[in-house]
Formats: sequence, C-alpha cells, structure tokens
Amino acid sequence: MKQITGDLKKSVDALKKLLPAEDILTFPFSSEGGIAFTCVFADPVTDKELLGEQVVRPLSRYTGAATSSEVKKHIVSPEVRTGTELRTLADEVLAGNPVLLFEGMDEALILGTKKVFVRAIAEPSTDVTVRGPREGFIEDLKINTSLIRRRFKTEELMIETSEVGRRSKTAVALCYLEGTAKRDVIEEVKGRLEEIDVDIIPDSSYLTHFLSSRPFSLVKQVGTTEKPDIFCAKLAEGRVGLIVDGSPIALTLPYLLTEDFQSSEDYFVSAYRATFTRLLRLFALLVAIYLPAFYVAAQLFRLQLFPIKLLLTIAGAIRDIPFSPSLEMLLVLLVLEVLNEASIRMPKYVGMALSVVGALVLGETAVSAGFVSTPAIIIIAFSGIGLYAVPNLIEQTGVLRLAMLLVAGSVGTYGIVLLTGFVLFYLVTCENFGTPLVAPFSPIVGHDLKDSILKYNYGSLKTRPKTLKSPNRRRQK
Amino acid sequence: MKLSRRQIYLFLACVAPIGKLVVLPTELVREAKNDLLLPVAIHFLVQAAVIFCVLLLGRRERGLYEILEGTFGRVFAKICMVTLSLFLLLAGLVPLIEQQLFVQGVFYDTLPSVIAYAPFFVFAAYLASKPLAHMGRVWDILAPLFAVGLLGILLLSVGSADYAALLPIGASGTGFLKSTLSASVWFFDAPLLLLLLGKFEYREGMAWKGALCYLGGGLAVLFFLATFYGIFEETAINQIFAFSKTAKYFSGITVLGRIDYIFVYALALVLAFYTVLPAQCAIDGVVQAFGSPRHLQTILSAGIFLGYFVLSLVFDYSFFALLKFMTKALVYLFPVFATLIPALLLTLGRQP
Repeated sequence: MKQITGDLKKSVDALKKLLPAEDILTFPFSSEGGIAFTCVFADPVTDKELLGEQVVRPLSRYTGAATSSEVKKHIVSPEVRTGTELRTLADEVLAGNPVLLFEGMDEALILGTKKVFVRAIAEPSTDVTVRGPREGFIEDLKINTSLIRRRFKTEELMIETSEVGRRSKTAVALCYLEGTAKRDVIEEVKGRLEEIDVDIIPDSSYLTHFLSSRPFSLVKQVGTTEKPDIFCAKLAEGRVGLIVDGSPIALTLPYLLTEDFQSSEDYFVSAYRATFTRLLRLFALLVAIYLPAFYVAAQLFRLQLFPIKLLLTIAGAIRDIPFSPSLEMLLVLLVLEVLNEASIRMPKYVGMALSVVGALVLGETAVSAGFVSTPAIIIIAFSGIGLYAVPNLIEQTGVLRLAMLLVAGSVGTYGIVLLTGFVLFYLVTCENFGTPLVAPFSPIVGHDLKDSILKYNYGSLKTRPKTLKSPNRRRQK
Repeated sequence: MKLSRRQIYLFLACVAPIGKLVVLPTELVREAKNDLLLPVAIHFLVQAAVIFCVLLLGRRERGLYEILEGTFGRVFAKICMVTLSLFLLLAGLVPLIEQQLFVQGVFYDTLPSVIAYAPFFVFAAYLASKPLAHMGRVWDILAPLFAVGLLGILLLSVGSADYAALLPIGASGTGFLKSTLSASVWFFDAPLLLLLLGKFEYREGMAWKGALCYLGGGLAVLFFLATFYGIFEETAINQIFAFSKTAKYFSGITVLGRIDYIFVYALALVLAFYTVLPAQCAIDGVVQAFGSPRHLQTILSAGIFLGYFVLSLVFDYSFFALLKFMTKALVYLFPVFATLIPALLLTLGRQP
C-alpha cells in the first residue's frame, strides 16, 4: 500500500490522483509558525463551518512544532485520528472526514467533521401506536445507534460497525447484547456480512437477500422494524440486530413468523386485550387470503357452501355479469392493486381525486354498468383491509391471495386445501440461523407459546424464548 | 433434522386415525352393522401392541435397514426393505383411492374431470422428494387441526345421534369377524412407524406412551363411529365419506350454510398428508437400502406418483372394484406385513 511522505506537495498530488473528482477540494493554509498545511476534503459531505472553527482557525495561530501529536492538541475536535496509507485516507475523505496533511510529516490527521443531513426523529408511518413510544429510526446510523444506546445503559450492548458494498461502503452496525445473543448467530451474521460483494447497499432490504437461507424464497426470513423500542426488545430476547446507514428500517435475526402478528402496543395493554388483538390479526389475515378464493370456488364448484338466502342474493347480483367468477374477482383484485400502487406513488394532492375515481367511478359505475357484482367488490374490499392488519407481511400475503384465487378458479376448494398444505410444508421446513420460522408452533415450544399469538401476562414471561437458544435464559426473577 | 418424541406421539394420536374416517365406516356397516365398533377396537388394540414393539425396537437407535443388515446381512436386508416398500406402496393405494373418491364426492357439486385431482400428485411428489423426518414438524401443525376438525364435527353431530342404535352388541353374529378381516387394509400404521426408526431418539417409557397415544386416537375414532352409526343407523351404508356427512343434520346449517365444511376441510388437509405418507415411507425404505443420493429420492417420488396418477386415470370409474379387490383378495397380506413382521422384528438379535 502506498504511504504518504513528508513532502506535502507530493502527498497532496498522490491523494488527488486517487480522488480526481471535481468535488474533492484542497485547502492550503499556513500557521503563524510557518508550517504549511493542506486540507483535502469532499465538498458535499464535509461540514466546512465546523472544519474552519475546529481546525483551520486554531491551527492558523499555531506556533509549535510540526509533529502530529503537537498539532493534534490544538485541534478543537474530539474525533481526530491519524493515518498513513493513501488508500485509507482517500476512503476517509469520501466518507466525509477531511484529511489534514502538513509539511515534514509522513502521517496525516483524519478529522471527524462530516456533514450530517438528518430528518427529525418521527413516528414511523408503518408502525403507529396509540400507547407506547413514538420514536422511529431515521436514515443516520449514529442517531439510530444513539437511540438504542439510550435504552441500554449496559456494557453488554455491543455495536460493531463494518462496511458493506464495494462502492457505497455503507456502514452497517451489528448490535447485540453480549451474553444474551447466541454466539453462533453473531458469528454467522458477521460471516455472511463479510461475504457480501455488491456495488452498493442503498437500503437494509438489500441485506435481507444475503442474510436469508433461502434467498429466492417468497417467505420473509429476516425481521424488520422501524422502531427502536421494538428493536431493543428483540435484542433483549436474544436476537441480533443490524442497522444500515441510510435506512430507517433495522433488521433483526433470527426471525420468527409470529413476530409480525405482534405489535409493540401489545406489551403496553392488558394481556387479554393483546391476545384478542393478535387473534384478530390472524383472523383478518386468513380472511384476506382465503375469502376471495373460497367465494370463487364456492360459486364455481360447491354452491352448498353458501347458506340458501345468501346464495339467492349472490345469484341475483351476478346474474348479468359477463365474466366468470374467477375472472371477475381477478379484475376487481387487479383494480384494487393498481389503485393501491397508484395511491402510494401519486403526489398527495392527487390522492383525494384518486379516491373519488377509485370509489365512485370504478366501483359504483362498474357495478351499475354490470361489469362486476357488488359481492365481488365487498369481498375484495374486505380482503384488502384484512391484508393490512399485518402490514409487515403484505408482500407475501398479497401473492398468496392471488395464488389461492387462481387455484380456486381452476381446481376449486380442493386446490385451496392442497395449496395450503404446500405452503404449510414449505413454512415448517424453513429455517434461518438454525431457528425454525414457524416456531413455537412447529416445532411446538410450549414455553414460547406464552408470547406468540397468545400473550401471557408479563409476570409469566420470566425467561427468554427457548427458540432463540439464548445462553442467558432468565430475564426477570 | 430429527423427529422428536412428541411428534411421534402426535402422529399416532392425531394423524394415523384420519385414514379410518373416510370409507372405512361404511365398509364396516356392510358386514358388522351395529357392531362396527368391535372390528375397529380389535385393530386398534392389535396395532397398539405392535406399535409398542416397534417403539421398543427404537431403543437400538438404528434405522430399520441397519437393524436388518446387522442380523441378516446386506443382501437380505435390501430385499426386505424393497419388499416392505412394495407393500407400503400397495397399502398406500387404499387411502389414495379413498381420497380421490372423497374429493370428487365432497369438493364438487358435479363429478369433476379426473384432472381436477391431478394437483394432488404434484403435491405428493413434492412432499415425497423431501426427507421423511421433515414430516414431524408438519404433524405438529396437523395435530391441532385434526383435533379441532374432529371435535367440531362431533359437536355439530352428537345432538342428532341415537347411541342406543348400537345395541344390542353382537347382533351381527359373525359379521363383525368378516369386517375385522376386511378392515385390515386400513390398519398399517406399525409398518409406517418401522421406517421412522432411527429418526427419533428413544427415551424410557416411549413405547407405552406411543401405544397409549395410538389408543387415544383410536378412542376418538370409536366415538366418531358410534356417532356416525347413531345418526344414520341402517342407512349408514350409503353414507360414504363419513366425516363429511355426519354433521349435515346440524340445525344451524340452513341459516349458516355448510359450516361443518370448515372442519371437513381441516380434516381433508390432514388426510392429504396422511395419504402421501405410505409412499414417502416406501421411498425412504429404498433410500435407506441403496444410499441417499438426492436425485434418487426425487426420481422415485416423481415415478411413483406418476404411476399412481396413471392408476387413478385407469381406474377412475372402477375404484370401488379396486377397493373390493384389495379388501378381498389382498387382505391377507396386511396382517402379515402390518402386524406379524413388525412384531417379530423385536426378536431379532442385538448386533454390536
């Protein structure tokens, strides 16, 4: 590796050769004592005001010796390091940390005056609670780790930062509680992070692919959260967390499917209410997936499934519909998906108009024109709402609902049973980091059922989940 | 992945009984009439005893092939494994036929094309291409499904049952003996368990606990049969696919529709997995005997279920004839393979 030399001009030229971009600037200045300094920095990501205040102003009055230890004493910043390798220095400049070179020294100072653009800490829109903390992660790694550190005033909290991404060199913080998280999981996560060889990591979701044992699977294998309180609760259970710079979504491992049926609020209300809510979420999800499929299958293959009065109502509603039940349902589902997609991406001021178009024009008019029947719209609307009862699983359940619908339209209710069997088998055989995805239901872990779809009183949860195999089982006396 | 003891118990208590709830009840009524409980009770007792022996064999912590190889040598062990696998493939025909009839009769208003049943073979081939030990986790989920399904059906139907119809006991004369013999084709749970040897860790008391679990499942089946006969009495012979028919007189159905189908579908899911199991065990037997290169299991499972599919096409209109053939001509194979051989295996000498 090339090193800098005591020749300031040569060192600056060598560094500039490595960083030829126009926004990499050099700022030469000299001290009262006659020492020539040159500061190399990346213009867009360096806080120049801070650089001036903490470095340039004190050093311009400096009259001491030209040694890095002496110069360092006069810099008014807590974050000053030294470096000699040109490549390392170049990387620091790109990361927003200016490099200070000076005549006669074969060592440079790396200054921590990075410019940080952050938005305010706010409640994440994907995880709103009535009770409980409203803080959410933001895009800055340091602030996110500070939110965690604030909740764990213990030396057991470990935050190990590494860089991932060949070009982006994105900082990824691995967080865990020493002695609580399983060592094998920590090592395996580290290993998998080291193996990642991609250009950039723009978001934490990129990492999930590399952290999944079945990367091409539709099934979610890595937990996600935008809330520090949930993140910390998961660390306290014995999980390992990952925070990616530039992403407000933190990852947790190992992941269990039941996690997504739980909300942070469940822990702030009574156990009875929490159990009821979790069961309600499960019911809503099952309805969302199965209702359209069973409606179509019943119409096509098994009319007995409808009570007689409902059958008469449906028969009246679908009498003049030109499409088959499955095609009708697929069309309504497609319209719902398009509306959903458009309403997310469209500017907010168009949103209202879109709702009117969606509800009135497409809904009412389509029914009155006889393109689709009212029951089909009601069922898809109910299914659509049900899907959002478990927002973290929307990607998977949306696809599953469509698959169920297709199978129901072609094979009928038996197709639904078989597809359920297939999904069930797939899920129970899925493991990530040695943890079964469907635990504590399969394999049954009696102890962990206390905080799964059911929620026992906090007093009954004296030990950490068995499934996570934490070396420190007890969490309360 | 190993099977846990709990998974074995759940299989015996909640998965194995499902095969006895579809066509068997009506077949029993044919000869045994109101004594239909006796043949089933006898079979459950005998199978429980054999299961006790098989689980005791589990103490050796070795697979069936290893046990046979240790006693008889490699060649004979291979022959035994292939023969047992062939028997299981044959035995697996009964639930397969039942299920096809059940699906055609219960899931559709009109008789569907034979192709409608084809997806089952894809599902089965996929399942059978995976290691048998994976099924343990499936049983963890299927057990509560079976319990809820059967309990739901029983709750909806007990009100309509007249249990006095089962009296007087012994009214069928020797009819129940004939039924006992023909019912043998539905009881081959011990040989299934044989193929699971070596895939679970034996603990003291597992044998009797397993046998008790199996008897527990048997009791549930007996209660169901009693309810079934109590509802339909002499006409029970026409009520094929018993568990889908038993709750049809529930008074709420006129208002709520066939809500009993929620439970029927839950049991149908359990049945789908149970139907694949004999072939899965057969494939595992061959894999045990001839090594386990990954492709062998996939090829075998694809080939076997393709064969089953062709059979289902050929016998689409004569399933009952095939079932009759099994219960008359081939019935003698079952006591030998399902009872005698598994029980005798316990007498094999221990090998180092």
